[in-house]
Parts: sequence; C-alpha cells; structure tokens
Amino acid sequence: MSEKWMLLTILLPILAGTLVPLLPWKKRRDYLIFIELAAVATSVLVFALLLNHPSGALTVFRFTGNLSITLKLDGPGGFYAALVAGLWPFACLYSFEYMKHEQNERSFFLFYLITYGVTLGVAMAENILTLYFFFEMLSLITLPLVLHTRTREAVLASRTYLYYMLGGAAFAFIGVIYLLTYGETSSFRAGGVLKLSSLGEKADMMLVVFVLCFLGFAVKTAVFPFSRWLPKAGVAPTPVTALLHAVAVVNTGAFAAMRMTYYSFGVENLRGTWAQYVLMGLIIFTIVYGCSRALKETHVKRRLAWSTVSNLSYILFGIVLMTPLGLTAGLAHMLFHSVMKITAFFCAGAVLTKTGKAYVHELDGLARKMPFTFTAYLVSGLALMGVPGLCGFVSKWYLAKAAIVSEDLPALIGVAALLVSALLTAIYMMSVVVRAFCPGKDFDESAIAGASDPGPAMLIPLGFFVVLMFVFGLCSGPVISYLTRICAAIV
Amino acid sequence: MNMVILLPIGVPILVGMMLWMSSFAEHFRKEKKKKAPGNRIALYAVSILLLTACAAAAVVLSWTGDRQLTLTELVDGIPLYFYIDDLGKLFVTVVSVIWVLTSVYCYSYLKEEGADKRFLGCFLALYGVLVGLCFAGNLVTMYLFYELMTLVSTPLVMHNRSREAILAGLKYLFFSLCGAYAGLFGIFVLNRYCDTLVFLPGGSLSPEMAVSYAGILQAAVFVMLIGFGAKAGMLPLHAWLPTAHPVAPSPASAVLSGVIVKFGVFAMIRVVCYVVGTELIRGTWVQTVWMVLSLCTVFMGSMLAFREPVFKKRLAYSTVSQLSYIVFGLSLLNPAALTGALLHVVGHAVIKCGLFLTAGVFLSKYGCTKVSELSGIGKKQPKVLWCYTVFALGLIGMPFTAGFVSKWNLAVGSLTSKTGVFAVLGPIVLLISALLTAGYLLPVTMHGFFPGESETAGRQGNPEKERTDWWMLLPLLVLAVLTVLLGTFPGKLVSYFEELSGLLIG
Amino acid sequence: MDFVQNFPFISILLSLFSGPLTSILNGKWAKRVNTLVITVIGFLSGAVLFYVLGTGEAFVYRMGHFPAPWGNEIRVGVLEGFMALFFCAVMLLCMLGGSAEREREIEDSKQNLYYIMVNLLLCSLLALIYTNDLFTAYVFVEINTISACGLIMIKQNGRTIEAAVRYMIMSLLGSGLLLLGICFLYDLTGHLLMSNIKEAVAELAATGQYHVPLFLSLGLISVGLAIKSALYPFHAWLPDAYGYSTVSSAAILSSLVSKGYIFLLVKIFYRVIGFSVVCDSKVINVLFVFGVIGMIMGSVSAIKEGEIRRMIAFSSVAQIGYIYMGFGLGTEEGIVASVYHILSHCATKSLLFVAASGLTDASGGSRKFPDLTGAGYRNKLAGVAFTVGSLSMVGFPMFSGFISKLLFAQAAMEHDRKMMITLVALAISTVLNAIYFMKTVIRIYTPAAKGYAHPDSRRIPLGEQPDKNLALVFFILLNVMLGLNSEPIVELIRKGLGMFS
Repeated sequence: MSEKWMLLTILLPILAGTLVPLLPWKKRRDYLIFIELAAVATSVLVFALLLNHPSGALTVFRFTGNLSITLKLDGPGGFYAALVAGLWPFACLYSFEYMKHEQNERSFFLFYLITYGVTLGVAMAENILTLYFFFEMLSLITLPLVLHTRTREAVLASRTYLYYMLGGAAFAFIGVIYLLTYGETSSFRAGGVLKLSSLGEKADMMLVVFVLCFLGFAVKTAVFPFSRWLPKAGVAPTPVTALLHAVAVVNTGAFAAMRMTYYSFGVENLRGTWAQYVLMGLIIFTIVYGCSRALKETHVKRRLAWSTVSNLSYILFGIVLMTPLGLTAGLAHMLFHSVMKITAFFCAGAVLTKTGKAYVHELDGLARKMPFTFTAYLVSGLALMGVPGLCGFVSKWYLAKAAIVSEDLPALIGVAALLVSALLTAIYMMSVVVRAFCPGKDFDESAIAGASDPGPAMLIPLGFFVVLMFVFGLCSGPVISYLTRICAAIV
Repeated sequence: MNMVILLPIGVPILVGMMLWMSSFAEHFRKEKKKKAPGNRIALYAVSILLLTACAAAAVVLSWTGDRQLTLTELVDGIPLYFYIDDLGKLFVTVVSVIWVLTSVYCYSYLKEEGADKRFLGCFLALYGVLVGLCFAGNLVTMYLFYELMTLVSTPLVMHNRSREAILAGLKYLFFSLCGAYAGLFGIFVLNRYCDTLVFLPGGSLSPEMAVSYAGILQAAVFVMLIGFGAKAGMLPLHAWLPTAHPVAPSPASAVLSGVIVKFGVFAMIRVVCYVVGTELIRGTWVQTVWMVLSLCTVFMGSMLAFREPVFKKRLAYSTVSQLSYIVFGLSLLNPAALTGALLHVVGHAVIKCGLFLTAGVFLSKYGCTKVSELSGIGKKQPKVLWCYTVFALGLIGMPFTAGFVSKWNLAVGSLTSKTGVFAVLGPIVLLISALLTAGYLLPVTMHGFFPGESETAGRQGNPEKERTDWWMLLPLLVLAVLTVLLGTFPGKLVSYFEELSGLLIG
Repeated sequence: MDFVQNFPFISILLSLFSGPLTSILNGKWAKRVNTLVITVIGFLSGAVLFYVLGTGEAFVYRMGHFPAPWGNEIRVGVLEGFMALFFCAVMLLCMLGGSAEREREIEDSKQNLYYIMVNLLLCSLLALIYTNDLFTAYVFVEINTISACGLIMIKQNGRTIEAAVRYMIMSLLGSGLLLLGICFLYDLTGHLLMSNIKEAVAELAATGQYHVPLFLSLGLISVGLAIKSALYPFHAWLPDAYGYSTVSSAAILSSLVSKGYIFLLVKIFYRVIGFSVVCDSKVINVLFVFGVIGMIMGSVSAIKEGEIRRMIAFSSVAQIGYIYMGFGLGTEEGIVASVYHILSHCATKSLLFVAASGLTDASGGSRKFPDLTGAGYRNKLAGVAFTVGSLSMVGFPMFSGFISKLLFAQAAMEHDRKMMITLVALAISTVLNAIYFMKTVIRIYTPAAKGYAHPDSRRIPLGEQPDKNLALVFFILLNVMLGLNSEPIVELIRKGLGMFS
C-alpha cells in the first residue's frame, strides 16, 4: 500500500464532512447513512494501512527547507490511529440518535467528521511542525462543536476552551521552535533529536523549554492548573464530550506530549532531571485533584469530565516515568480509558436524551427503567475503579509496576495517588449507581414514569464497549505485548 | 477435568445475577401482581437446593485431591489461577455450612422485608464469589474476588433501602475499598520483589530480596495488613462495622459478621504466610504495631459493645473485638497462636452467625432493636433464647463450647511466643475482654428469662407471628449444636490446624 | 541606463502630480484617476522589482544627473521594489474595500479632497521607500504626516477632529526629534546622502570619535520614528485615529503609514548608521524592551476595549511591538522577521478593518460588541474574513501571522539573553491575542437572542457590497499566500537586506 493512502485517509472524512451540509439531502436517513459509511470507510482504511504499514513518509506540503507537512505511520502513531478509528464509527452511530433532539444537525456532523480526519493527522504526523499544525487545527475545528447549542453557557465554555487551547499551543510553540532550531532533524526520531553535547550553553535552557512545551501540549490533556476548560466544555452535545473530550482531543495532548518526550527531547536528556520531577509532581497532583473535584460536582457530565481530568493524568504519569514500561502503561491507559470513559459518557447522554436529567440527584431510581444503560454505567464505573477482570485494572497495574520498578520516591507517591484516586473514583461513580439502583424506600415511581432505555443506535455502541471492557480486562496480553514491542523500539 | 472447580464459583454467580436481573423485570410490568406464596416457596426451595448442591460440590472438591486450574491471563503474565489448598479448604467449608443454614433462615425472615429475588440473587452470587476467593491461587486472583466480595455484599447491606441503610452501604463500600486499595498497593510492591505471587506455604520471597529491600517490603506488608484489616474490623479502619451490621437484614449481617469479615483475616494469612513469609516481619516494627493495634481493637471493641444499647450494634462491636482475637493470634507469628486463631475463625463464624440470627428473630417478630426491649423475651421464645445462651457462653469461652478451645490455644500460643511484654499482655487483655463479653451478652439471657417487674417484650404481637417458626429455628439449633460439638470434640480439628500452622510458620 | 530605472522616479512624480489633477475633478472621476494611478504605479513597481531581481544588484538613480552632494538620489533594490509593489496592492485593496463607507461618510464636496490626500500619501510612501537622501526623507515624512491627518479628519465628526489634532501633535513631536537627529548626523558627518553618511559613520565608529553625539542622534531618530509609528508608550493618538476615521483611512493608516516609517528606520539602520554599529549600541535594547512591553500592553488594552474598531486599533499597538522587538534582537534574522511582519501585518490589519466594517454594516452601524452578536451570519463573507484575520493574528498555521511568529521565534533562538524573554512574550501575547480576537469570532457566530439584536441590524447578501467583498477575497488570498508560500518572500527579504549595504 503506497504512502499516498495516508493522505487519503485524512482527507476522506474531511471531504465527506464538507459534503454533509452542501449536498441537498432528501431525508435525514440518507445523510446519516452517508456519514456512517464515511466513518466506517475511513476506519477500514486506517486498519488496512496498519496491516500493510507503509514504511515511507509522504511530504504533502513544504513551507520552507526543513518545515513541511509530512505524514508517516509509525508504532505509537499507528496505535493512536487505530484507537481513534475503532471508536469513531460507534460514536457516529450513537450520535444519530442523540442528535435527533438537537438543532443544526448537519453542521454538527460536518465538524464531527472533519475532526476525525484532523485527529488522524495528529496520529500520522511525521515531524514537529505537522504535529503542531494538526494540533492547532484540532482546537479550531472542535470549537464549533463546543459552541453547538449556542446558549450563553456554551458561548462562555467555548471561549474558555479556545483560550486554553490556543494558550497551550502558544507555549508548546516555544518547544517546537527550540527543536526546529537545535534539533538535528525536524522529524520525530526515537530517542530524541537533541544532542546535549552539541547544544553548549543552550542545554540549560532545554529543561525550561521542555517543561513549557510539555505543559503547553498537556493543556489539551487538562493537567492542573489547566484543567478548568474540560468540565466547562461539557455543555457540548454528548457525542462530543464522549468522543472528543474523553478520547480524541484530550489524548491528542497526551500523544503530543509523548512525542515531545520520547521522540524530540529524548528521555536520555530528561530522565532524573528536575523537569521530570516538576512535571510528575503536577501530574500526581492532578490525579488526586481531578477526582476530588469530580466528587464535589453534581452535574453528571461535568463529574465525568473531572474524572477524565484525573485519568488523563494517569496517561501522562506513565509518559513522564520515561521508561519503556511506563510508556506502555500510559498508552495502554490511553486505550482503556477511552473505552471506559466513552461508555460512561454515552450512558449520561442516553439519560439526558431520554429524560432530560443532568444532575446526580435527579437520577434516583432510573435504573429501574433504564437497566441496560445503567448496567453499562456500572461496568464502566467498576472498570474505572480498577476492579480486576475489567480493563481499568490492567493499565493501573502496569502503571504501578512501572512506577515501582523505577524505584523513585516520587513515582511511589504516584502509585499512592493512583490508589487514592481509585478510591475517590469508587465514590463518585458508585454513588450514581447506588442512587439509580437503590432509590430509597419512599421513592415516588411516577418520577421516572416516562423513561426507557434508548434505541439500538445507542445501545449497540454501549453494548460493544461493555464487551470490549471485559475483553481487554480478561485478555490484555496481546494489547500489552503489542505496546511493549512498540515502546521497546522507542526507548 | 479441573474445570469442575469453576462449577461452585460460576453457577451461583450466574444464577444470582439472573435472579437479580429478573427483579428488574418486575418494574417493567405495568401492574404489579401479588405473588402467590407458592411461588415464594418454590423460589426458595430451588435456591436452597441449588446452594446446597454447590456447597456440597465445593466441599467435596476441596477435600478430595489436589486440584488446580489456570485460566486466562489477567495481567503481566499472572493468570486467573485457582488452587485448592489447606487454608482454602477450611474456609470453604465454613462458608458453605453457614451459607446453607442462613439461606434456610432467610425464607421466613424476608417475608417481612420483601424483594426476595434481589436478596437471594446477591446472596447466591456472594457465595460463588467467596468460593472463588477461597480457591484463588495467587494474589491477583484473590484481589479480584476480594473486590467482587465487597461489591456484591454492598447491596445486601443496602437491602431495605432506607436512607440509613444506603448511607451505611456506602460507608461499607468506602471502607472496604480503602482497605482493598491499600492491599493493592502492597500487591504492586510485592509483584516487583517477590519471585511469584502464587501462594506457597512459607512464602516465595527470597531471603536476599528480603534483606536488601527490607524497608519498602515491610512498609508494603504493613499497608496491606492495615488494608485487609479494614474488612476484619481492625483499627483504624473498623468504623464501617457497627454502622453496616445493624441496618442490614439479619441474615445478611449474620453472614457479614460470621463469614465475610473473616476474609480480611484470610487475606492477611495469605500475604504473611503464603507470599512474604513470616521471617520478613518477625520482631520488626511491623509486628509490634500489628499486635498493638489488634490488642487495642480487642479491648476497645468489648468496651464499646458493653456500652451499646442497640442489640445488633452491640453484636457488631463484639465482632470487632472477637475478630481481633484472631488477628492477634496471627500477629504473634507462633504456630500455637495461629492454631488458636484458626480455631477461632471456625468457632466465631458459627457463634456470631447464630447470634445475629437470633437477633433477627427478635427483630422480625417483635421489632425489638434495643437490649432493654428484650426483657421477658424468653417467655415468648424460650427455644430461641436457649440457643442464644449457648452462643453467648461460646463467645465468652466457656469450656465445652467452641470459644473455649480457641481462646485456650490463643493464650497458650501467646505465652509461649517470644514477643516480650505482649506474651503476657495479650492473655490479660483477652481475659478482660472475655469478662466484658460476659457482661454484655449474658444480661440479655437473664432479663429475657427473668424480666422482673418491667415486662416490655410482652407487647402483643401478631399471634401468628409468634408461633414457633421452624424455618428460623432449625438453623439456630444446628448452629447451637455445632457450637457445642466443636467445643466438646475439638481434637481432630486442633490437630489438623496444628499441622497447618506448623507448615506455615516453621 | 535602462529605461526601467526611471520607473521609481516616474511613479513618485505620477502620484505627486495626480494630486493636483484630482483637485479639479469631481468625486467620481477623482476616484477613477486615483485607482488608475495606484494600479499603474503598482505595475511600475512590479517591473522595477523584476528588473532588480534580474540584474541581481541595486541601482542608484541620480535626479538630473547631478552627483552628490548637490544632487538627489533614488536607490532601488529588491526590497524597495517589493515594498512599493506590496504597498500599492494593499492600498488599492483598502481603497476598494472602503469605497462604500467613503461615499456615505464624507461630504460630496470633499470627496475629491480625499483622493488628493491618498495620492499624496502614496507619493510620500514611495519617496520614503526609494530615497537615498536623509533630508528628502524628512520632507516626505512631513508630507506623509499632513496627508494622514487629512485622511483622519475628513470624516468630520468631533472625535476624528480631536484624533487628528492628537495625531498631529504627536507626529510633529516625532518629526521634530527625527529632524534633530538628522541635523546631528549632518553636523557630525557633513553629508545628507545615506551612502556617504554611512562611510563617515563607519570611520567615526572605528576611531571612537564623537561616540556620544553619534548615539544620541541614533536615539533621536529611533525615538522620533517610534513615536510616529506608535510604539507602545507613544501610542495615545492611535486608537482614536484608527477607531473613528473612515474605514479606508484606518486601514491605510494602520497598514501603510506606520509601516512606511518603520521601513525608513530599517533603511537608516542599514544604510545610514550601519547595522553592526546599531547592534553595538544600547538603543536596540531600549527598542526591545518597549517592543515587548508594547506586545503585552497593546493586547491588554485591546481586551478591555468595548468596540470592535478600537480593539483592532489597539491590536496594532501590539503588532508594532512585535516589529520593534524584532529590531531589538539585533540580528539579521530579527530584522528579516520584522520586515516579514510588516508585510503580514499590512495584509492582516487592513483585512480586519474592512471585515469589521462589513460586520458593523450588518449590525446597524453599531460597533459595540453586544450589537455584533450573530453578525457573522448576517454578513457571511465579512464573518469569514474576520475569522481568517483573527486566526492570522493569533498565529494559526496556514496564515501569515504564523510565519512571522515562527520567524520571530527562530530569530530569538540565536540570542542568549533575550531568547527566553522573547519566547515567553510571544507565547503570552498569543494567548492575549486569542482572548480578544477569538472572543469576537465566537461573538459574531453566536446567534443573537430574540429581541436583543440591534434594531437596524439586517442581513447583507453577498452581492450587495461587491467592492468590499472583492477586496476581502483578495485580502484573504494575500494572507493565505503569505502563510503558505513564505519561503520565496523570506528569500526576497534576505536578498533585499543584503543589497542595502
């Protein structure tokens, strides 16, 4: 398979997305089928690419001598692309039923599909500039999705969203420039492109630049103190919060931070420096902070968003451990967390469409009417808590293992933070479950009279993800060994 | 052929889940049909038969031959692995006996509470989980079932769905998970330093590792002890016990108090004797702190029980105290003390289960929650109160009851252990606690039979309710007989435990 | 001598004399003549550019063939030619984009006056670009000031007159300082022609004579031109002048007039004082500090602003800060970045002004943010254009602003001490830019709630303002072109700077 297919894979959803508002569709069903086909086709292309694994790079556009937009599919990129490609068609399917109740559906799908292409672009970026380019694109393309409902709340949220995104990119830009100037090449290279010996005086600055750049990219991953945007962005329609703000956008931040750490600055230059510990400190704090904010929050989607804040820092924690094992664990959590969180969000969304209830205290007894939804929620909650047999446990295990093997005190504190956060997770997830399943003795049945489980377009993705959580939890072997292979090649 | 191990684990869990799900189906029906009593009997008959069959299977499986089973890999090359060893055998037997008896009792108790399917579902599933826990062959598998045990038992605590019960359930969940995660932390650390997480008598930690990483390993073991101690009601994570037990339906609190808390001890034994080995902590600060904590718990539990006016809460505090007898026996790291501890596991399981079941009788038939309301109860329910008296004497440690044998062994073990001041302090505390036990349990009997002037339990209840109910009485009688039998003919059991202890603590 | 070498002089003369010519024409014809003149000059500049590119070296054109010191010289290199071409193009587009407003806002009797001013302005800009003589430069600086004042004042309402007076005072202060500096230089060297001064200055710098007066004069010139181009602490005249004048004036003023002065400063750095001498002086540190402060403070003021035009005006203060910061780095790379930013800012700022006028037209003429809610739906092209301009300002890849940000940052990397300050200032300034520009973008794409829209707001279909829309489309293309195809332009700037010395 030639390298050109990579470009096609990125362009296909973008073009298809553009067609959605442009073509004169007769019926709603027609363009829904079109959208689903586009998403599936793109995913098929991605997996086909992964199977054939074109080894070369494709330069799409050249700004100046060494600045170009170039695509390449390497280990982590392929993994990330596969992760995104696996989830998108299901999320599309889910949004068909969800968006029935929202306005401007076609403009929504326009941006939803374009985002798919841009995210794949992030995954396939071969050099720093390409990554930065798609990273910025992603901020912009997802803005209309956050703004979708056009309410005052959405406007405020989208403002915050954009400030954080562009601000993060601005600081990441410092690192990009540093690498472009002093790196031996602008491409990503396993082990980094900086040679400490040839940097001379600029070496001192490197760590400062690295911290700024890492945090800049990690703004998308909502690391403390840049986590406020994520819960606010929860005003977006649920397919957006579920897929973008729990998976695509936020993981892009982690992915970019990974690229910076392992492929650009180079772990050899960073391991054991103050930069590593500063970042680790922030990340560990975020792990606990996110959970405790989730606990305080009573709006279900915002609560899940805070939970995402915490869980994303698990991924970053794995990344800043700067060992192959840590990276494996981080990437594994990227995958597993995506599945778990998307399920939880989909459940919240199903409740929202079916009953319009958004707050935790309104969910009393709903499980009686929506047993499938809440069972899925329960499973995802258990997985997030890290019950063995579900996927959350696996990544937590490897994260802890990596931290303990590194024999670093901060890493050990990180393990403790993981467990504290697991405990808090249990409280905020299970309190919802308990409310829904056990409404209390004097519960008024009429409050849930109209509710029912959603239709197949929502239940199929939910069911699929639930099964996936069990499958990953019980047979994590292949995934982990795949990731281990990738990561061993990097570090 | 070893797949057969899965039978007593899987069948109850599956059937339980189906029952539980079918309780939802009722909400979908528009009009709620009054269930015919015949249905209920059938439901219980089937469940009890199923449970008995599974229990029989489990017990037979565990006492006949060495069985092991390796299933899918959970993480990191660590499979879901079952292996039936001596400790597992012991616990599975206790669990099975208690479960079958309690399930019989449930039939009439739940007539008042309702929602049979929901309760029975959890009850059955919990049995499967516990069997899995007993059969678990490595730490991760054990952790899996340990977590499941917490999760599945929480609905039991919340069963009556009052606000109080739900809060108590959440508290239970919180403390248990706190403990479980502390345990998990230890597992993470042990995974790094131990050769394997599979249970081997005497532990699998190599001596070099134990020496060179003593600091972190001891810290990890300590964290695990505290963590698993949460389930066993050990200080400082004991607070859930007195909250959760009283609000749970009596059969549930009976199994919680009689069996589930023992699995905290079970996990401790697994960690100390089967993974790291006793040498790692013998004579270190870990052992000292552990002993201090358990003795404090023994004393504090008894004192609180003594002051407690609510009957079930008093029993719950009593559990806190009694469980720490076992923990203390374990913490001495001495074969005789361990024998005593294991004996107390059996004895206390039978006795405490019986006590809670009697409390359930009083509660369901007369609505008595406080001790003071129980005076004169002996006139109404003499058989039940006689059973109660047997259990009470057993718990105090009268000769010819189960409690005596275990406490005797505990005291002997303590005195022969080389733990300095604790060797003497231990028996003293145990003795004081026994006195307190007598002080908080026996007054019920006395006032029950000899109410004196103030006969409050004479409130006229429903005469139909007051009739001797054999569904309830039968398990009580069996338990009482067991209490006496265990105390009178302990020989075989003691020798079995001595052998086991010798194996574990060389 | 090739005939083409006459073109620069011809274009200056053409614009100078078309001024008086338009004074006798009526408004409509004046406009046509003006458009024609700008176009012709654009073509002439293009021809000059290609000629210079072809020969590969700069040429000197002596007026009347008198040699120095009596004669007056024009000197044309690649950069001069390119600037002239670019300025003509932007001016043409600005005039096109603001034509409707001009006709509406300016009295009929004064229509042709406007074109006189524009022609004079163009003339002075070209002279600033081409001249090789310091005193000629000063003369045209003054002409430039006066015509710019006219452009501000011509829309006669109270605020523009006040703004024009302010502009006049500040500008004259700046001119005065510039004149002082030129006098000092003349005193020190005895020359007014740039190349001659440079030789003399190099000698002075080598011997270390007259050290203080030399740098004093450099300082005076820099400060004088900084005042005129609204570097941060001297920007008080700017928001009113840009905010209340008619659109084409605002666009021309912000994108061309201030840039003319800056270009003159670059020329003085390279052609009069000598770049190495400049870099050794402390003047550039002062410029750097004020540039950085300007980047931040300009944006902060813009954030606080309540109406769109003044916000864009304040944004200019920040952008001018970028340019001076580039100077302040004291490296060739820094100057390249600054010159590129001149181009990028030219293209973007005028786009923003024109787009903003399109948005205000759709909102009943109100410039207040609340009234602009949903304007992006009412005037679609203006909305898109404003978004493009904003993204360019924020430094979004694909648009011109990104490239200049990239160049600035790369230039900063060369520097030891100033690197981190520059990089962080760039990052913070980007965040601040994002705050006010993207806030506005979100605002114009939020549908107005029922009953809250401005009473006169209306939908403007695509065909209603063909001039403006055409201008907008070209501006967008220009922006994207600068953003995507930057390499040849950067090369061209490098080559041009090389020809300076």
